[in-house]
Amino acid sequence: MIEAAPILAIIIPLMGSFLTPLISILTKRYKKERIRDLFVVAITIVTLLLVLYMLPTVWNGNIIVYRLGNWTPPWGICLAIDGLNILVALIVSGIAALVSIYSLMYMKNDTGLGKYYTLLLLILASMMGVTLTGDFFNMFVFFEIMSTAAYALVAFRRNWDSIEASIKYMVMGSLGASLFLLGISFIYNLVGSLNIADIAQKISIIGTNPMPLVLILILALLMTGLSIKIAMVPFHAWMPDAYQAAPSAVVALFAAGTTTVGVYMMLRVVYTLFGVAALGAMLIVLGSVTMVVGALMALVQRDLKRLLAYSGISQVGYILLGVGFGTALGIEGGLFHLLNNAIYKALLFMCAGAILYRVGTTNLDELGGLSKNMPITACLFTIGALAISGVPPFNGFASKWTIYIAGIQAGKAFFTLLAIIVSVLTLAYLLKAVNAIFLGQRPKRFENVKEAPMTMLFPMMLLAVLCIVLGVLPSLGIDIVTPAYNALVNQHGYIHAVLGGI
Amino acid sequence: MNVDYIVAMLMISFGLYCLLIKRNLIKMVIGLEILTFGIHLFLISMGYREGGIAPIVTGTNPASVVATLGVDPLPQALVLTSIVIDVCVTAMLLSLAIYAYKYHKTLDMSEIRRLKG
Amino acid sequence: MAGMTIIVKTASRLLFPFVLLFGIYIILHGHLTPGGGFPGGVVIVAAIVMLLLGYGADAAKAKFSPLQASVSENIGSLILVATGLLGLFLGFNFMKNAIPLGTTGNLYSSGILIPLNIGVGIKVAAGLAVILYAMLTAFEEEKK
Repeated sequence: MIEAAPILAIIIPLMGSFLTPLISILTKRYKKERIRDLFVVAITIVTLLLVLYMLPTVWNGNIIVYRLGNWTPPWGICLAIDGLNILVALIVSGIAALVSIYSLMYMKNDTGLGKYYTLLLLILASMMGVTLTGDFFNMFVFFEIMSTAAYALVAFRRNWDSIEASIKYMVMGSLGASLFLLGISFIYNLVGSLNIADIAQKISIIGTNPMPLVLILILALLMTGLSIKIAMVPFHAWMPDAYQAAPSAVVALFAAGTTTVGVYMMLRVVYTLFGVAALGAMLIVLGSVTMVVGALMALVQRDLKRLLAYSGISQVGYILLGVGFGTALGIEGGLFHLLNNAIYKALLFMCAGAILYRVGTTNLDELGGLSKNMPITACLFTIGALAISGVPPFNGFASKWTIYIAGIQAGKAFFTLLAIIVSVLTLAYLLKAVNAIFLGQRPKRFENVKEAPMTMLFPMMLLAVLCIVLGVLPSLGIDIVTPAYNALVNQHGYIHAVLGGI
Repeated sequence: MNVDYIVAMLMISFGLYCLLIKRNLIKMVIGLEILTFGIHLFLISMGYREGGIAPIVTGTNPASVVATLGVDPLPQALVLTSIVIDVCVTAMLLSLAIYAYKYHKTLDMSEIRRLKG
Repeated sequence: MAGMTIIVKTASRLLFPFVLLFGIYIILHGHLTPGGGFPGGVVIVAAIVMLLLGYGADAAKAKFSPLQASVSENIGSLILVATGLLGLFLGFNFMKNAIPLGTTGNLYSSGILIPLNIGVGIKVAAGLAVILYAMLTAFEEEKK
């Protein structure tokens, strides 16, 4: 049964999300609703354990291939797990387990919690589905399920801000998914198959140097559809509204989960499917524009969650910049920054949620002097702020330094300079936020604000410890990321493992 | 030049125009629907084979005849899945439109947009 | 919402069993004729919506309450996943067609396709019924 760990990592959260409404109806009748909450936490932890079980096999260089229904690919759907997949699956399941522990106390004052937990398990199942699958249309279907659950979670508290944010997110997200579907239909017409390894093999036979016009069209459609999802700069308009309106536990999952999955899909399309390292110039330019615009817009924000959302846009720019450099050091730096971004973004959004839970507002003009009331939250927020700006003993410094060195080595010193300037801007607006919330004069009505409860502090402290550990021992981070880098540039190994002996 | 492809591309461009230019929320939903239908039409018409029959194995059409003469059934399965996804997204958009009407008594998007910057 | 005139009420009452039967026929013959789980589920929901429009929301809720629809939606999905896990328990991979296949063209053939179609049909019908109940009675609370 344990050989079926890849498919169980998708099916167990999915079955959990089907069982949660039934358990919710039963427990509401007997007034024991804690059982449902603990059931959800148990399922997320079981998913994390399944991913950890698959980890040693993949890190030894094997690619796990699981065939659904014993059909041989390319006539059937298969799940193919290599180093890149397992890194993203580890990030997603880890952050989902921490978010479900965090929302035990955070969502205490909301009603309709049965639907909230159903959507949480559904979005976890679909994120695992996108990461672990080896079939292109299957990836699209799980991507749509993830997007739909995200639209519903953004509109969860039904005040007008949430609904407007959800409408905006939904229209732009559906447009992106439609463009992605158009790209898939062109690929099917060209090569007649939907398996990722098979498409990669047939495209490499057609040849990508020089790229024929139809392949350029396919790449353009797929990249546009995906960049709407990860909020690259011309298409980023939905992200600040959506992150401000959703409950903070969910926003931590979005910033660490859906963005990571979107970047994974982009890397899979560009590197495994097309085998093109020449796309680097476009990624560098778009990445640097995203970095700069995100940082400049974050400087003028007055609301904490919008500020963190723009800062998230800026960090995605760093990842694309690192990957776009094309050298080994650059790609490893970009992937390491993906891991770090998930950790400290989730930490910052959980701290913002703790402040909102105790105080009731996140407007920087109204807050002040909370470091006497909430000392642990202040300390954790400062750790997250220093980590995201790239200050030395934390993990942000390790990954950003790798990207700077890769930029100088690749001969593009201008972008390294730009990245350093944006780091300084990041430090500036985050220190402004820390100053406005925790230092300074405390208004009278915040006299009796207590510290955040322990079930909310525990995930935040775990993430802060990870920040410090990965910063003090950066070689540990590079060891985690190296199998992903090897899998990313090893297109032939992937095709050979999935299609078997060709 | 296959007439299906021309009609599909026309539908996609009309849907995109309607989504971007119109200001009523229901008209934006209709535009998104037309866009999606155009893509589905394009996907189905890709499986066409000249002089083909329906890919159903019956008494008069055994499996060998269907394999050589039938049209491709895989795009039909893909489009069926995509229609289901589209139904879910449309249902959610219309529910949010009901909420918008409840709060503001109007469906004009330019009057009810408040979040900027 | 209120019902409609007596012509609509009579016609919907007479047509309801036939539309329901047609929907069940499409679901059960999913492996022989075009159709299957999803179109069959939509036709079943069309029958329920016919009652809803003809007789009003209260009468339709007395026959198919939203709570029943919500529970049967989850049972439909659990049938779907359990059929896939059946292949896992019998020693093969997930969703393997491990039940004995019959001869092509019979109604009782092709292994796990019948339970899959039934699961999908129940889920689609119940899910769309919940959505339509919520939408068609959205403005009721204002009058109370």
